[in-house]
Amino acid sequence: MRTYLAIATAALIALTATPIVAAQLVTDLSEHQVRIRSNFTGTQILLFGAIEVNTANERSLDRDVVVVVTGPSRAVTVRRKDRVAGIWINTESITFPNVPGYYAVASSRPLEVTAEGPVLQREQIGIDNVNFGAPLAQGIDGSRQILSVDDEKSFIKALVRNKRREKLYSSDPGGIIFLGQTLFRATVEIPANVPVGLYTATVYLIADGEVVDAISSPLYIDKSGLERFLYRFAHNDALLYGLIAVFGAALAGWLGSAVLRQR
Amino acid sequence: MQIYLPIAEMPVNVLVILAMGLAVGFLSGMFGVGGGFLMTPLLIFLGIPPAVAVGTQSTQVVASSVTGALAHWRNMSIDFKMGGVMLVGGVFGSFNGIAIFRLLTKIGQVDLMISIVYVVFLSIIGAMMLTESLRAIMAARRGAPLSGNRGGQHSWIHGLPFKMRFRRSKLYISIIPPVMIGFFVGMLSAIMGVGGGFIMVPAMIYLLRMPTSVVIGTSLFQIVFVSALTGVMHSVENQAVDAMLGLLLVAGGVIGAQYGVRAAAKLQGEQLRAMLAIIVLLMGMRLGWDLVTPPADLYSITDAIPHS
Repeated sequence: MRTYLAIATAALIALTATPIVAAQLVTDLSEHQVRIRSNFTGTQILLFGAIEVNTANERSLDRDVVVVVTGPSRAVTVRRKDRVAGIWINTESITFPNVPGYYAVASSRPLEVTAEGPVLQREQIGIDNVNFGAPLAQGIDGSRQILSVDDEKSFIKALVRNKRREKLYSSDPGGIIFLGQTLFRATVEIPANVPVGLYTATVYLIADGEVVDAISSPLYIDKSGLERFLYRFAHNDALLYGLIAVFGAALAGWLGSAVLRQR
Repeated sequence: MQIYLPIAEMPVNVLVILAMGLAVGFLSGMFGVGGGFLMTPLLIFLGIPPAVAVGTQSTQVVASSVTGALAHWRNMSIDFKMGGVMLVGGVFGSFNGIAIFRLLTKIGQVDLMISIVYVVFLSIIGAMMLTESLRAIMAARRGAPLSGNRGGQHSWIHGLPFKMRFRRSKLYISIIPPVMIGFFVGMLSAIMGVGGGFIMVPAMIYLLRMPTSVVIGTSLFQIVFVSALTGVMHSVENQAVDAMLGLLLVAGGVIGAQYGVRAAAKLQGEQLRAMLAIIVLLMGMRLGWDLVTPPADLYSITDAIPHS
């Protein structure tokens, strides 16, 4: 009974899928899990895929592949320094509620030529098109402030600039390399300071300025082994962790004293 | 050789950290200073988040002060009663320091405060050490013996109430000044990740007029407990103690201190003290320079809710 059902479902999927979609993406990642161990200094993920072309001689020149890898979102505060009494101190700040911890985009051609701005904005393709959410501006004393659009823009620019400097945001026009007509690949750099969590690698197929297909694969980045143990311990059982750290240090000090005494 | 620090969430070079631990341990063994006031800014220069540098450094202070306190205990040069009174102030000071740290982290001024506090203290200590050692060098050249100037015997401190007898220190004084000193140093300990001996020792000698023989032992005794409390609280409040980094620092520090103690017996003390003073001054200047020069990027980013 179950096999019949499976066959029927498969047939149904095959029937519905083939005629409607003209071109289809098939992609995968070299790894779906990145483990941060004590020797972690960053890594590279290989993304590869193919465009399945149904008609034999279909050949679209205006066809691009874009890969976007995003990390888990967090609220991020951007602070601006001003000179107060001769020293540079943080004054205004804006908190954005929804900032991806990591964002990498690679494309077969520069993004501007793949599609119109509104299309890219809708799909949040490209660093400049990521929506960080409604900003909350504060003065140095913590009071709510209303910043001008220009100010807000400069904060957003600064956020992206800082993330780029930390190598957490990157864009690589031309990073998608085609091997022949259908096969493509891209390497995504994962720096050492990458935040942990669930990542998504989305591959977009853009033809004639419209997104015609998109496929997402999960990528899980987590600390592993001793790193994971210590991190979890420090966060879940902070008191015991602190006591053990301090006691261990005291023990080391006692050992040092014992060695000192022998000499 | 790189190692990834689980709490600081960044890779560092093991050899660099070990070398820093050795160097600071060497200096602390040689001069009997905790070395926290050198290590914390060095860690910050390396790019370790200030909270993690301060929190982790407190474990290193525990290790080095335990070593020192045990040695003084064996020599019977600790005034436990005085240490206990100061510790009461120290505990409250430490709680207070942690609260200030948390508040300033929330409003984004913690880096600034750590920098300012360090600039102030590194300049003062550096200048004091330098003048003292230069004077000693001059005196040694002239061949004149240094007179221990301890000034008058009575001051305003002896007029305060709540007097207590401290047999070991041969003192009968109010407990208010030792509690205040403990409080102040406990607060600095929580904010700067230092033991605070560099403040406490002069305060005990010049304000409380304790005999120099028990001053260092007593201050170390107090530092053991205050820095232990600070370390635990930084773990609980900020999850800012990196066990991996702490291990490397303690290992380097313990080994370095052994050689420092031995070297101290052989080398010319005053010249080295002058050198340490110059190092301290330079670090203060570097931190001060960063405060007054326009930063490369006026904008900085942090996670709005630290971790979790």
